[in-house]
Amino acid sequence: MKLGVVLPVYNRETYVGSALRSVLRQREAADLDVIVIDDGSTDGTAEAVRSFIAGGAPIRMFSQANAGVTKARNAGLRQLANDTEFVTFIDSDDISPPGRFAADLAYFKADPALELTYSYMRMVDQIDDETLEPVAGCDDRIFRGVHLSAGIYRRSLVERIGEFDEDLAQAEDTDFLFRIFEQRARHVFPETIALYYRRHEYNLTRNVAESRREFLKAMQKSMRRRKADPTLGDLRGFVQVTHPSGEGAPLRP
Amino acid sequence: MGFSAIYAVSSTDIVYETFDGDAVVLDLASGRYFGFSDSGSCVWEALIAQVPPASLVGRACGGGELSADDLDAFVARLTEFGLLSLAPEAAASALSPDLAGRLATAREALRIDMHDELADLVMVDPIHDVDEPAGWPVVKQ
Repeated sequence: MKLGVVLPVYNRETYVGSALRSVLRQREAADLDVIVIDDGSTDGTAEAVRSFIAGGAPIRMFSQANAGVTKARNAGLRQLANDTEFVTFIDSDDISPPGRFAADLAYFKADPALELTYSYMRMVDQIDDETLEPVAGCDDRIFRGVHLSAGIYRRSLVERIGEFDEDLAQAEDTDFLFRIFEQRARHVFPETIALYYRRHEYNLTRNVAESRREFLKAMQKSMRRRKADPTLGDLRGFVQVTHPSGEGAPLRP
Repeated sequence: MGFSAIYAVSSTDIVYETFDGDAVVLDLASGRYFGFSDSGSCVWEALIAQVPPASLVGRACGGGELSADDLDAFVARLTEFGLLSLAPEAAASALSPDLAGRLATAREALRIDMHDELADLVMVDPIHDVDEPAGWPVVKQ
């Protein structure tokens, strides 16, 4: 089965190699097609990606003038191969844990009607870029929140939901997931840790005022859709603040 | 309700925006979020601009007029939800021509809708609500 992995990137030469290595080490789990959208990087990002391509990695890179993450994600979706059955995402500063794809793709084998797996994320403040694992003793949290990389999406679901809303400069991922759950996509919530989310100084979402405004806009769009079509589902249940294993610090002060 | 009273957003945990005439309000303390009918959005915007409810009575709204009873009930809901509170020191403002125009062309009755299914997300998801100094999620108490 072919898994398309969409990776938008802008000036992340420091981290993009680790993100790619974390994906590529899972080649036994699926026929990977890594689609990198270089969103106008001016640093060494493109060269870093090319070095993987030169080594034979299943990566296709497309470059565009800087247009923001929403348009970059859409550009990635438009490059999906005809025979891609499943789609997921990874951000250029995050890590896909070993075995993550195999664990959740197994659910699709077991249920041919399944459209989505949506798993946990582990947010950490230190990752060893050699081992691609969180540094022992670092601050971490495990929870099921809003992150595209938490999901593996059947291609037909992505086509049913449509592209990311380019009216949203941020929270396009929130809006995308809201639309999926409103549409009552057939899903499971595995206990898999689907990504290590790396907190660092330059996280896009640390601009609180802008991210909050865009989040409100995503909420408003969801309310408007549900008001227009009362048959849509509500958004209950897809957030989970603790992992069943008890690992990771609970989300408490 | 003190009908000639003036109201204000009750705390910094109440964040709000209006997009294309639709107001959306989020209570960061409870995780609840709120949407409005078209007339409700207009009146919400008027109230947070310190327009006294009394000055809205009789205003044209969707082919009719805003009644004191409807406004009274609407303001009561806003205060019950903890979104607005009395602002005795505030100076009254007049309804803007833009809001008056939007109110006159509104088609729906005054209404606010409360949603609580995203409370966990709003209260703990660090990606969308980070405590900036800490850089880590903090559950609102």
